[in-house]
Amino acid sequence: MDVDLSPQDLAFQEEVRDFLATNAHDPKTDYGQWRLNWFDLAKAKGGWDVPKWPTEFGGPGWTPTQHYIWEKETAVAQTPWDLPFGLSMLAPVLMNYGNEEQQQRFLPDIRARKVNWCQGYSEPNAGSDLANLKTKAELSEDGSYYTVNGTKIWTTLAHIADWIFCLTRTSDTGKKQEGITFLLIPMKQEGIEVKPIITLGGSHSVNMVHLTDVKVPVENRVGEEGKGWGYAKGLLAHERTGLAGISKSLVALDTLRLQAGSVKRGNATLLDDPAYKSKLAELEIDLLATEFTELRSLASAANGAEPGPESSILKLKGTEIQQRIQKLTVEAGGIYSSAWGKKPVGHSFAKGGMSGYLASRAYTIYGGASEVQKDVVAKNVLGLKKAK
Amino acid sequence: MNFDLSEEQQLLKDSVERFVSDNYDLDTRQALSKNDAGFSDTYWQTMAELGWLGVTVPEAQGGFGGNQADTMVLMEAFGKGLVLEPFFASAVLGTRAVVAGGSSELQTRLLPSMVSGECRLGLAYAEEQSRFDLEDVVTRAAPQDSGFVITGQKSMVQHGGSADQLVVSTRTSGGQRDENGITLFLVDAKAEGVTVDSFPTVDGQQASEITFDGVYVGADNMLGELDRGFTLLQDIAIDGILALAAEAVGAMEILYKDTVDYTQERVQFDHSLADFQVLQHRMVDMFMEYEQCKSMLYRATLEVVQNGRDAMRTVHALKYMVGKIGTFIGENAVQLHGGMGVTEELRIGHYFKRLLVIDAQFGNSDHHLSCFAG
Repeated sequence: MDVDLSPQDLAFQEEVRDFLATNAHDPKTDYGQWRLNWFDLAKAKGGWDVPKWPTEFGGPGWTPTQHYIWEKETAVAQTPWDLPFGLSMLAPVLMNYGNEEQQQRFLPDIRARKVNWCQGYSEPNAGSDLANLKTKAELSEDGSYYTVNGTKIWTTLAHIADWIFCLTRTSDTGKKQEGITFLLIPMKQEGIEVKPIITLGGSHSVNMVHLTDVKVPVENRVGEEGKGWGYAKGLLAHERTGLAGISKSLVALDTLRLQAGSVKRGNATLLDDPAYKSKLAELEIDLLATEFTELRSLASAANGAEPGPESSILKLKGTEIQQRIQKLTVEAGGIYSSAWGKKPVGHSFAKGGMSGYLASRAYTIYGGASEVQKDVVAKNVLGLKKAK
Repeated sequence: MNFDLSEEQQLLKDSVERFVSDNYDLDTRQALSKNDAGFSDTYWQTMAELGWLGVTVPEAQGGFGGNQADTMVLMEAFGKGLVLEPFFASAVLGTRAVVAGGSSELQTRLLPSMVSGECRLGLAYAEEQSRFDLEDVVTRAAPQDSGFVITGQKSMVQHGGSADQLVVSTRTSGGQRDENGITLFLVDAKAEGVTVDSFPTVDGQQASEITFDGVYVGADNMLGELDRGFTLLQDIAIDGILALAAEAVGAMEILYKDTVDYTQERVQFDHSLADFQVLQHRMVDMFMEYEQCKSMLYRATLEVVQNGRDAMRTVHALKYMVGKIGTFIGENAVQLHGGMGVTEELRIGHYFKRLLVIDAQFGNSDHHLSCFAG
């Protein structure tokens, strides 16, 4: 048993670090231009602009360990902002279940970061119980288009999206999971209304999307009618592992230490406060263990094995850790943590700390609430019967 | 032994609960928080007319002559409505400062106008480096002529922007963190050299950064004794903590009850959420913690009414519980409301934010736990 990287992996790590350092953003230059250049340069490295895409679609074909190295290094370095909806959520569905025409039509624009996608899954009465969704898609008599009616909720960035990938109901008979169809729908058309939902931090990123008699050509259906649940499920599993954010939390913990160290208490700082210090220590201990839980999960994936039981706790532990980091940032802000003006008051990190904390409360809700995740672990890992 | 309210307190409770239910639906509250002052002048006048602003003012000065238990009745109801008017800043903190520290001349001059709502007070005690330590004071008051000249900066003054008079802690001798050498003054917010920079807080209320640039005050505006202001400041903080705790307990009650209601209405997996045992137990925990916090509120309030500052240790215990339990109940109310819990549309998020702000006022739970441990 060891956790050493192989010589090849060490060389890869070096190459990644070199790339990230060479192409870091120079604040004197335009960000938007740098961002697009960065993706071009990453693409020229052999598909580094689409790390998770398989080689047949232009991805780098990395091993799980290489992915881990990439995650870890990019969490530390400055990389351009990116959105997961097209790139990480829809693209794998198109690659696995879309036809060749759909792949050629959509994947290049996703890769070029030219087209924004949003995800139309949750509905007012289909949250944790996603299969309960009711948005109806009816096939026309000639079989050329669907008419879609219903409401989607928590749709992140729907207000700037060009397209939405939607789970719709095409049949009410049989199990709830059957009769769900995966449709691709342009956002800029009559019958689609986007209403903002303001979240606790006062910001607008999620929306309610009403679809009224929206006509969707049948060529925008991915895969077979009624099989959409199966396509989406794989994608949800992906979403869940991506949400643990261990590498980012390791970086965030370092930042938190710097912030707490800048808070003066007489001749000392907050880092000398016994209560605060012990909370930071508890957090670090949990993070150290979780990092190894992730490595164990990675090692079994690297050996081509099915993810072991340890991987099921990553989202649960990872999101809880992210929330605790945010809470400790709020506590470091002290009296200033409640300031909410346009200009910063007191410690420069305090306002961001509170907004980060409020936003983090959603981490244990979206992508499968923690309570539901634990049900899944109880059933699938411990083999327990469904509880009352 | 009797934990019932007195007849007068019961009348007060009925009247304030009616005020909250008639005037404080969420939409009204959110609209009020966005106007310049961040609250309603009309409601403020109503509070004056109903006698609430004089609840702890001596009867001789036109008040009700009540104590911290009467304030508790009002604040708990305010907590249930997320009331915005600066009752806490002025009628709790300000009144205590003037009643406990002001000369009889100053009291006669000021208290009637506070009771009538014409004059509002604010407490400027925190500074950038002080965090939660009341004794950490850099702002100086230097003797000049027959008065003092104040220079320094105060932080996070609740409702500083709408205060007419400011109670300011200053250093008149000793080192930055000495308890001795602190003196409190009453300063006109419009006096030359006072700059008030106001901003919203995350709970929809307002606070200010206030700069004092060579502000002259007469010696008759001193509250308490020269260099002995720390104990007065502590007494003000004790009343402040009791009042905030009562408000927090009111907010917690809304949070746990709304959660119990919501989980019964919300159906997922063909069951109401309340059918799931794991969620039932969570709500039982929320309820138990709420009751424990309420018990500690009663305990601390009664001890302070009887023994004043000797009850300090229980006050530390209370503020620790308010922070810890407020966070626990708030986070779980949000969690059990799912996505809806993190929106501004439901009221629970607003109660949660108020509890977070309360934790950061007059010392957070860590601070008071370590004070309690000694």
